[in-house]
Amino acid sequence: MIGRRAIDWIWHVRGSLDIGPTQSAEDAFNRLSPLFRQAGTSHECSDNTLIFRKKNQAAQDRMAVFDGGILQIDTGMSGPVLHYDLNSRALLFCFLAPLLFLAIAQLTILTGKFDTTPAAQAIKQPAPKKPGVPMNPIDKALGAPAPDTSGKDAAQDKKPSPTPGYVFAGIFAALYVIGRWLEARLVRALFRAYLLVS
Amino acid sequence: MDGIRVGNRLIGTQAPVTVGWENIPRVEGGPFKQFVFTWFQPVALFALLAFWYYAPNSIAKASTAIGIGIGFKVLLLGLEWVNPRHESWRLTWKELATDLFYVGLTYTLIRLAENYIGSGVMAKALQHHFHWEKLAWFIGLPILVQAFLISFIFDFGQYWMHRGMHNWYPLWLPHSVHHYITQLNVNKGAVGNPVELFLIGLGIGGFFDFIPRAALIAGTFGLAIGTYQHINVRFNSPRWWRFLFNTTEHHSLHHSQDYEATRSNYAGSYIFIDRMFGTCIDGEAELLGMEGGRRMSIREQMTYPFTEGWKTIRQRMGRPIAVPAE
Repeated sequence: MIGRRAIDWIWHVRGSLDIGPTQSAEDAFNRLSPLFRQAGTSHECSDNTLIFRKKNQAAQDRMAVFDGGILQIDTGMSGPVLHYDLNSRALLFCFLAPLLFLAIAQLTILTGKFDTTPAAQAIKQPAPKKPGVPMNPIDKALGAPAPDTSGKDAAQDKKPSPTPGYVFAGIFAALYVIGRWLEARLVRALFRAYLLVS
Repeated sequence: MDGIRVGNRLIGTQAPVTVGWENIPRVEGGPFKQFVFTWFQPVALFALLAFWYYAPNSIAKASTAIGIGIGFKVLLLGLEWVNPRHESWRLTWKELATDLFYVGLTYTLIRLAENYIGSGVMAKALQHHFHWEKLAWFIGLPILVQAFLISFIFDFGQYWMHRGMHNWYPLWLPHSVHHYITQLNVNKGAVGNPVELFLIGLGIGGFFDFIPRAALIAGTFGLAIGTYQHINVRFNSPRWWRFLFNTTEHHSLHHSQDYEATRSNYAGSYIFIDRMFGTCIDGEAELLGMEGGRRMSIREQMTYPFTEGWKTIRQRMGRPIAVPAE
């Protein structure tokens, strides 16, 4: 059986950061505390560990992508090190979203087979040539192209197609890869900024 | 908060808003930046209109319109990056992913539903039942007039649907979800409960017989005007533009945390419809949303109209609702 740890990298962001030899765990958490004093965020701190949870966090919250996590400070070879393990439902959702859109594409194909709407019927039958459409003299004078009389009905463009489902599956796959990489970098830079610069 | 008197109404008693064009900040920066962000909107509108008016029939089709729509929105996302209206509305990865999820639903599931129960199908059913012919005289009008009328009639219907949503509880329930957004970005117009997204898309265009090119130009009016409702870009929109068309300033006021301000600026593209019916307020707001700016998760957005509706029914039926102990 695959251990949870083998797959939870999908929605977990883990990392560690040297926080400088002179900083205690209490100092470090004090410096990070503005990040956890946000609307919808609760946190508890004990010794060298900080646990936080977020619910309905504001879009403007700089850690909005995460719903909870654990921060721990241990003493490493070169001094104190912050270890963090953050979880994100948004990342998990984005990872699964391609499956949803692929399923929608399959549903579109399936419903198309049983489609009896006029738009579908229009596509199945050969398009009759349209009679000449009157063109307003103003449009003639301004040089607009004459209306299309080839008989290709606009309904053809409106027929539900599985293509958008496939396109959005691709978009979300790409978004996941970007988000998983970007959010890990951003949160690391955020912690570094609070711990080392301020 | 004292609020600002606009006609008979007091705006901004619950949350900060800015009322009056003279109080709204201008684009900051050099002359080139000022020029671009003053003329971008009208130039884009007229360029797109000219393209669709003169494009050969082989190009003037729906697939081209979809491509242009995507390209235009990517360009607007770039403008959000370059010249944001508010730093607090900056697009994050999470916001982009959330918005694109709703855009995806609109292009897939909602389009699928519209194929069976949308306004086009309803119009055809009514015409068939009452033996009406399509309004054939419409097709003889100049293309731009046809396009404007399609767009205006749709927007006029949308104005009353939207106003109805703010005044009739059963319609408010699905629409309320859209008012939980706390910032405006290019794709935020798509965020909402699918029931609302379906309702707001209903129109009566199916009753008219029109040249396909006119429908594409009508879509361009929506793209090059209506899209600016939800956008985090500061423009110096020309005076005539903001008199005629809905802007992000108008729509931010509609989304503000001030209840009275939300009851204004209902039109999608043509703000003059609001002016006609006395619901227009010229101004803007930065603090948006409901319940003090609580952001709603996608899961809650999907279920909220139904759970809230159920709660209300139970209350009306006189059954007490279990409230967790403090």
